[in-house]
Amino acid sequence: MTFAFTILAVLASGASIFAYTKGDGSHVRGFRIAGSTFVNMLPLLFMAFLLAGFMQVVIPPELIRSWLGGEAGLRGVLIGCLVGILIPGGPYIAFPIIASIYNAGAGLGPVIACITAWAMWGSVTKIVFEITLIGYWFTVLRLCLVLLFPPFAGMIAAVFF
Amino acid sequence: MRNTFIAMSLATIILALTGVAAYGPEILIKGLTAGGKMFLEMVPLMIAALVFAGMIQVLVSGETINKWMGRDSGIKGLLFGGVAGALIPGGPYVYYPIAASFLLSGAEIGTVMTFVLAKNLWTLTRLPVEFALLGPYLTLVRFGITLLFPILIGLFANLFFSGYADRVRNQIAGMQGKVKTKGSG
Repeated sequence: MTFAFTILAVLASGASIFAYTKGDGSHVRGFRIAGSTFVNMLPLLFMAFLLAGFMQVVIPPELIRSWLGGEAGLRGVLIGCLVGILIPGGPYIAFPIIASIYNAGAGLGPVIACITAWAMWGSVTKIVFEITLIGYWFTVLRLCLVLLFPPFAGMIAAVFF
Repeated sequence: MRNTFIAMSLATIILALTGVAAYGPEILIKGLTAGGKMFLEMVPLMIAALVFAGMIQVLVSGETINKWMGRDSGIKGLLFGGVAGALIPGGPYVYYPIAASFLLSGAEIGTVMTFVLAKNLWTLTRLPVEFALLGPYLTLVRFGITLLFPILIGLFANLFFSGYADRVRNQIAGMQGKVKTKGSG
């Protein structure tokens, strides 16, 4: 998290300084866009974080884990995909859960389907932020385009590896 | 925007009530704390991301975006979007504002799609966690199978959904408080 912040802070301040040196008030306009975006989205963002918080405490990892017990084949891959979208939060929350599913004996296919669905379809919490920050029309298109890829990735893993 | 807020509030309330029914009222405190904590942790990250995204909109001219990520950038644009996505750190509250800025400045829909999907599938900062927790074999197989997805999907989006981009752009402009900026030169 500190690492991510450092990189973003360097990018943001570098871009701001560059805008300032142009001497035409670019930096003011940049800040104004950032400020107006932030203020406009604040209520929605706050609600998004609240929803993410409740997802984390209401859907316990044990429940998610129990679904994928000894499943294999297409059924396992499809369940893996569903599990993927229910896993809340970023990699530091998701990967320990996925690792515990893998260590509990789930096959390569379901686990790869799960990671790919978590990453590409997006866990529900990620979709909430997407709608908040870039609008639902983008989300609709993206979801339609990626729909088949997580089961496809899982099936390739199950059949060939 | 208002409808999104209402839908999201409803979802939160339903989830909270489900939690109360399953675990008792103390889940409310837990959920509020978890959400509030995340919110506070992410605010500095988000502010940095929004400032960067804002500066992209004023600094990078329409022509530059067009050249690198626009209609005529072709496969080069997709690769550029993919590399940018793999390199940028942080969660959705970081890369979606940046993706939105790219779109408003004239980037093609497929290029931005590749950027988002590369962030989802290639992101370098996540690799160590995946590697450490799932081992090299699973990580390599996962990476290998999904390697081409961002480029393929971006290509497909550019070929068939170019016209759809304006609908997305108009919505973003509205969400940013109608500060329409086409990039300045």
